Amino acid sequence: MNNPYLPLPMRIERVVIENDARDLKTFDLAFVNDSDRKGFQFLPGQFAFLSIAGVGEAPFGIASAPHEPLIKFTVKRVGVFTTALHELEPGAIIGMRGPWGNFYPLELMTGRDVVIVSGGFSFTTLRATIAHLLLPENRQNFGKITAIYGARSPGELLYKDEIRQWEKSPDLQLVLCVDRLNGADWPKREGLVPNVLKEVAPPAANAIALVCGPPIMIKYTHPVLKDLGFKPDQIFLSLENRMKCGIGKCGHCNIGPKYVCKDGPVFSYSQLLNLPPEY
Amino acid sequence: MKKYLLTRQELSQLLDRLAKETNLYAPVKDKTGATWGKVKNTAEVHLEEVNTREPAKGFIFPRCEVLLRFDQKGNALEPEPPEEQIVFGIRPCDARAIAFLEKFYTIEGKTDPYVKARREKTTFIGLACNRTAPTCFCLALGGSPHDATGMDLLLTDLGDLFLAEPLTAKGEKLIAGYPEAKNEHLTAGAKLRKKAEAEIPLRIDTAKLQEVLPKAFASKIWETLALNCVNCGACTFLCPTCHCFDVTDETVRGSTVRCRVWDSCQFTLYSRHASGHNPRLDPRARYRNRVMDKFYYTVEQAGVISCVGCGRCIIACPANIDIRTTVERLLKEFPEE
Repeated sequence: MNNPYLPLPMRIERVVIENDARDLKTFDLAFVNDSDRKGFQFLPGQFAFLSIAGVGEAPFGIASAPHEPLIKFTVKRVGVFTTALHELEPGAIIGMRGPWGNFYPLELMTGRDVVIVSGGFSFTTLRATIAHLLLPENRQNFGKITAIYGARSPGELLYKDEIRQWEKSPDLQLVLCVDRLNGADWPKREGLVPNVLKEVAPPAANAIALVCGPPIMIKYTHPVLKDLGFKPDQIFLSLENRMKCGIGKCGHCNIGPKYVCKDGPVFSYSQLLNLPPEY
Repeated sequence: MKKYLLTRQELSQLLDRLAKETNLYAPVKDKTGATWGKVKNTAEVHLEEVNTREPAKGFIFPRCEVLLRFDQKGNALEPEPPEEQIVFGIRPCDARAIAFLEKFYTIEGKTDPYVKARREKTTFIGLACNRTAPTCFCLALGGSPHDATGMDLLLTDLGDLFLAEPLTAKGEKLIAGYPEAKNEHLTAGAKLRKKAEAEIPLRIDTAKLQEVLPKAFASKIWETLALNCVNCGACTFLCPTCHCFDVTDETVRGSTVRCRVWDSCQFTLYSRHASGHNPRLDPRARYRNRVMDKFYYTVEQAGVISCVGCGRCIIACPANIDIRTTVERLLKEFPEE
């Protein structure tokens, strides 16, 4: 029986504490069975459920790119499941099922500039996207890549090692910002993501914008993109809703007649204009 | 398809045989009417009520079901496949709902294997309604008290005889060997159908509803329509087409299972994110979601309205909300342009 509820066994290979508050951790997972690795094909933007027997399961965006050997998830400790996950150490076996949902419109992005706008720990699937686009064999397919990534404070920025490399990369313009400094030593920008986006002002002509962040950031980012000349079908957003099944059956994640797990999580802004504001 | 004849006694004998050979479920008497129960013989079957208090959806989508078991190492194991079961006495509205659930859970290549396996192992022997309740409105939604959608075999009570119409191979198998019905029996059945249909006066222009509902989404009318709703969820639990579920892990005496249980979009926590953000925090938004889902969203998703007019939500509602009134009000408030 091809059972979409059956999790694949995964071994935690590495755990990285991402932030000063120590409530964000990145888990690098390896497939216990080689055959599962071959069957797990995904693209940036998709998500999967992580599962701990006796505790439950929860969905998370896949933070690794398809070419990376380990499957990466960055998880904030907020509830019962995430707390149990945070307590696990390398070597522990957990479950994973997926990949579910659609992905960023890579085909549409081909031959165009790409503008990536992200805030907070929603950066995960956009991290996957950047890693995917920067692969030498993929890089030539895209124009200028601009990424604006903001966090509350310098200590809340994810993937610090990679960010250091990306900052040096001629293939990517990476703009980092923090909401407020509170006296911290930070040589880069201070300001909210939408304001920084306005300052950076990437050209909209022949570009696709990918946006992922908390609802409040999404709300204030759209008017800026609009002013910069981005049309609704040039803007793609990754949404989150409560979900239990991942295959459009349990009902929880509906936005009107669409399910975030099956019809999303990536929606174009023009699609969202035709849906009720239930996200 | 051909129709056959059984005497009342032959039907009893058939059911008694099935009760011995397999798991036979039928309406049985309880304190407040009829409910579904496993029966050992025909004497336990109680067909006096128009319908059972609970819908028949639990036969393919149980209220609580084990999805996975975990061994001591935490490996997930699939449960044993379901057993064969025969459900006798399902009414046309509930059978229509079974057809909807079957379609919904298998659309777009994403099949729910548990519902599929249960439907394959279940035979539905339906019973046409010769009388209706004041809360029945199947006819308004394309159904009928004698409709056969979703059944394997439909029986019509002609008095001393039962007209039997097989709809699937499973139904054919059950009815093999009985004599074919004559014209007079078919005429008698048609007459009963006409009589039962005449008892349901409500008509809803469902085509118009598809235009009205998207327009009505942002309307203030929902404040009035949902004013009394206490979001208790009774309507959704008793609805034969409501398909939402929650998934939860349970450990009892060291044995861990992952279960799914029915859930309701009327509950506050239903749509709340882990971050605390809730897209449907307002009770009115939750009532609106239920109505929109029944009459509009499932048409977009599965091509069918998912209200079958069984009337259980009307009977169960502690706030006297009547979904028929809601639909009528919406059609009246948003006249065609």
